[in-house]
Amino acid sequence: MIGYTLRRLGYGVVVMCLVTVFVFVIMRLVPGDAVSLQLQDTGVSKEAADALRGEFGLDDPVWVQLGEWLAGAVQGDLGTSFYNKEPVIDLFLARVPVTVQLGLLAMLVGTALGLTVGIIAAVTRGSVTDSALRVFAVAFLSVPNFVIALLLLTAFALWFAWSPPLVYAQPTEDFTSWAQQMAIPVFALGTGGMAAVARLTRSSMLESLGSDYIRTVRAKGVRERTVVLKHSLRNSTIAVLTLLGLELATVLGGTVIIERMFGLPGTGQLIYQAVLDRDYPVVVACTIFYAALFVITIILIDLLYALVDPRIRTGKALS
Amino acid sequence: MTEKLTLTGTRPVSPAPRPPRGAALRRGLKALRVFMRSQPLGAAALLLICFFVLVALLAPWISPFDPLEQFRRDILEPPSGTYPFGTDDLGRDVLSRTIHGARTSLIVGVTTTGVSLVLGTMIGVTSGYFGRGLDLVVQRVMDAVQAVPGIVLLLFIAVVLGPSVRNTIIALTVVITPSFNRIARAETLRVRQEPYVEAARATGARAPRILALHVLPNMLASVLTLGSLIFAGVIIAESALSFLGIGAPPPTPSWGLMLSEGVRYVERAPWLIIVPSVALSIAVFSFNLLGDALRDHLDPRLHRSATDRVTGLWWGRRMLSRLAPSLVRATEQNVSTGGAAGGAPRPSEPPR
Repeated sequence: MIGYTLRRLGYGVVVMCLVTVFVFVIMRLVPGDAVSLQLQDTGVSKEAADALRGEFGLDDPVWVQLGEWLAGAVQGDLGTSFYNKEPVIDLFLARVPVTVQLGLLAMLVGTALGLTVGIIAAVTRGSVTDSALRVFAVAFLSVPNFVIALLLLTAFALWFAWSPPLVYAQPTEDFTSWAQQMAIPVFALGTGGMAAVARLTRSSMLESLGSDYIRTVRAKGVRERTVVLKHSLRNSTIAVLTLLGLELATVLGGTVIIERMFGLPGTGQLIYQAVLDRDYPVVVACTIFYAALFVITIILIDLLYALVDPRIRTGKALS
Repeated sequence: MTEKLTLTGTRPVSPAPRPPRGAALRRGLKALRVFMRSQPLGAAALLLICFFVLVALLAPWISPFDPLEQFRRDILEPPSGTYPFGTDDLGRDVLSRTIHGARTSLIVGVTTTGVSLVLGTMIGVTSGYFGRGLDLVVQRVMDAVQAVPGIVLLLFIAVVLGPSVRNTIIALTVVITPSFNRIARAETLRVRQEPYVEAARATGARAPRILALHVLPNMLASVLTLGSLIFAGVIIAESALSFLGIGAPPPTPSWGLMLSEGVRYVERAPWLIIVPSVALSIAVFSFNLLGDALRDHLDPRLHRSATDRVTGLWWGRRMLSRLAPSLVRATEQNVSTGGAAGGAPRPSEPPR
């Protein structure tokens, strides 16, 4: 198990290095930098601009910049924003909570709804309810999350003359305002996951409901509800868990557009603005954060798997 | 004996009988008929797609107004006889803009999917067939592109190049090509070991001939299936970029742009949101449905949807399978037993 864990972690580190180098290189290779963008209309002399570039270290070769950045990153210094000269780490930490709240809540809502829909569909297999729920799931899988958010906004505005507050409030300060603002984004981001979870739950529960051990449990005279919720569902949760890890990627990608739409000050907004401003240190830090979050989740779920299923960690049987 | 040998040796080699003209077309039509019969949902999706393509192609003739013409006296008009879907804040006809929006989506979808399909397949096939150093270098580059979160790369390229339809296509192509490379390479590695490729090589066929006659036709199914799903993703991505203001520039009729312009008038003019949303969703839905049906039809054993769809734009499959092998395996197993598009659960595979 220890060897297995180390191997997974090793691959994770390799992937992160690849991401870092790649992001760094493309950031610097493209034409147009933060300095020329900031000084565009100010008529500052070329010398002053060059001096500014020197200050940011933009005139060094790419690999020197990469080395310096890495040396700093190891010590917890992710550089300074080119734009407002604040340390990236501060900018970043101020915005992480919003994205984490959004992402976690969205995944929670998506999983809860998806499991419910999936269980109902599996239990009522072949009935009208089942077909309706399945069509519903496929439809939700096809509507982009920002469109769902827009449609919800429209519906609330039309029927209840209500629209979410535009200024973000900390949940600790003004909980109602926070809840009102988060409701639509959370739901919109959660639906994609919901549809995927529902489909997977249905198919894996159908599989387990038809298996021998369920027949045995039924033969024992266990109540149907216990059969479904305890024996069948428990066996399907591991599949759903897998999907959730992968779903995180979609949710994080979605936060960029949703946060912008609803004025939520999260990392999605930060990265969008940073890309517009060519604020390299911020873009690099955000990209690496997103990638790292994904890699860590994947590894955690994988290890969980290995813990549950000894065949995987010994690397035999399934291959 | 010797006479016989010379005889066969000198006998003019009779050319293989040429297939009659139009045989390929007939074969294609037959395959289509079989597909439509076995996959009714796929047939429905195909019809929807035909409708979408027709609307896009015939846009200038079927739309009631010029999508850019501003009727200043009819600003934010609700749906009526003159304007079936109302007008926007500049007095432009929403129906005409939606019809022309299909055109924008189709142009971006076809070009992006087409270019990245051809490019990715070529890279994947070459890399997979010749292997060794070339493979190592090419695949590392592809890994690196896929390792960056798709949305970030997309944002970045779109911003650097500036907002235009052409640049949206370029950005999306860069992000999507590795997906096709991945599947083409995997398929090449599979086909390369088949006896018929070995036989072809033994008869002295050269690499280009083997690739064109044996490898490519045998991977077409997987590539086309992925193409359909990718097409749906491209339509979403195009509208998302336009929505963020870094895709199609303002006067262009694009669904994403229409949505972002309509947000301000949610209460006064909900049709500005509803009409493009429905159009976008139906287009995406039909391509997703077609992809699912194609996969079921072409290879019932191959159900990678959950892993592939989620990781498609994000991560190299190889990378993912190294990071988390059990995860990939588990998703595949679970999805493969359930039947993605529905239907009865398939008998689970015997343990290997």
